[in-house]
Amino acid sequence: MRTFAMELRKEKRTGIIPFMLAVGILGAAYAFAFFLVQKDTLFNLPLAPMDVLLTQMYGVIMVLNMFGIIAAACMIYNMEFKGSAVKKMYMLPMSVPVMYFCKFLILTIMLFLAIAFQNLALTKIGLTDLPQGAFEFEAMLAFAGYSFITSMPVLSFMVFVSSRCSNMWAPLGIGVAGFLSGMALAAADHVLFCIHPFVIMLKPAAAMSAQPDMIVVMFSLVETAVFLSFGLWAAKYLRCE
Amino acid sequence: MDYMITTKQLTKKYKSFVAVNNVSLNIRKGSIYGFLGPNGAGKSTTMKMLLGLTAPTKGSFTIDGKQFPNDRLSILREVGSFIESPSFYANLTGKENLDIIRRILGLPKSSVTDALELVGLSEFGGRLAKKYSLGMKQRLGLAGALLGRPPILILDEPTNGLDPSGIHEIRNLIKLLPGLYDCTVLISSHMLSEIELMADDIGILNHGHLLFEGSLEELRQNALQSGFAADHLEDMFLSMVEQDNAARKRRAKL
Ligand SMILES: Nc1ncnc2c1ncn2[C@@H]1O[C@H](COP(=O)(O)OP(=O)(O)O)[C@@H](O)[C@H]1O
Ligand SMILES: [Mg+2]
Repeated sequence: MRTFAMELRKEKRTGIIPFMLAVGILGAAYAFAFFLVQKDTLFNLPLAPMDVLLTQMYGVIMVLNMFGIIAAACMIYNMEFKGSAVKKMYMLPMSVPVMYFCKFLILTIMLFLAIAFQNLALTKIGLTDLPQGAFEFEAMLAFAGYSFITSMPVLSFMVFVSSRCSNMWAPLGIGVAGFLSGMALAAADHVLFCIHPFVIMLKPAAAMSAQPDMIVVMFSLVETAVFLSFGLWAAKYLRCE
Repeated sequence: MDYMITTKQLTKKYKSFVAVNNVSLNIRKGSIYGFLGPNGAGKSTTMKMLLGLTAPTKGSFTIDGKQFPNDRLSILREVGSFIESPSFYANLTGKENLDIIRRILGLPKSSVTDALELVGLSEFGGRLAKKYSLGMKQRLGLAGALLGRPPILILDEPTNGLDPSGIHEIRNLIKLLPGLYDCTVLISSHMLSEIELMADDIGILNHGHLLFEGSLEELRQNALQSGFAADHLEDMFLSMVEQDNAARKRRAKL
């Protein structure tokens, strides 16, 4: 808890928190704008109104979140490496894995807030613009949870990568490479490709239905846990030499 | 004799390169120990091992009777340290940087002002650390080591990058420390002339080997015996290193 409060203090002036909030607000604004312009086309699609609302705008929102996560993860560790501040942390009586976990937690909370903003916007659209009685609150909530859970593997992976690279461009490059290879693999609908964290995040956007896929959820949870434990383990054993 | 830090045959290998070779140090409680050696001698590597930043390949050491990794937290609570370049959060001010360290150590708020004052940085506490000059960063690092006045200080070339008056000031500060409160200081340098003005004991390191360990007085005696004037200790240090290097070359040729 003390480490968490301290991590928040350290974020000062790095802009990570406003940045993630901006990602959420931008996503929400995009949903409003897109719906305003494309309303008629959207409802002429051969899809249920709820599926239109949840899946048709998620592609762009998801890419926005993905780049938000990549950039925020790079920034949250870059500030440790700039001025080699982390070296001082190693020499202080504190747990480095706990610090890692707090960074992970901060990003998770910020992603949660961003997704909450975006889904509030979708709820607003759903309540005002969907045909009478077509809005289902439960489906809305399920999809919001689904998009959050499927975003977590990328977050977990990116925190791990950026904690191991003292040069900020390396995790940024890996993030972009992950996005591109994810795009290529997501189209090929094979379960094994779900091992790729970026493919998981792209899954809900590629699907035509807002129904959560339980296999993808399982993959997400396992990968999030695996990358998190890698990160905690590495933070404990692999010091800067 | 009451020792604060002792190392036994401490060795560090990077692949096949031996950076620190069977070094056994004995650092008396309450003394200032000058750790001397040319660049690349292995001073920083030794200090990193003492702080648990890197694991020894061989050998062991105790700090205040405690050992890594079991007593890591308890050792680090007692040691104020500054290794190689200063470390700081570029996005925080000098004061905020020290405040982070203060929170980790669980010290009262006043310790930050105290440390800033000790290193002469009080005026600039509110400035962003990335806007500091090299000398100010160095002082900030030193303030971070002195925070809470820890019983053991491990300082790696703390006057690097300071101007002559800054060097003088920091040297005087370090010299005063054991009198100010009860502490033991391990300080490294590549200049004997600097160390001899503050150290009680001296260890000389070259290519990872400890060439000499003893009091400043013993070093002076040594110098006289080998025909150097006692006020030219620096020459003695340099020739000691040169002789060792020459012997090393001869061995390498054989
Ligand atoms: N991480 C490392 N990998 C390989 N060699 C290293 C590493 N760190 C230090 N060295 C080598 O160990 C030797 C001693 O370095 P160092 O302890 O920094 O010397 P000093 O502080 O006395 O100038 C140098 O030759 C340096 O190149
Ligand atoms: Mg050094």
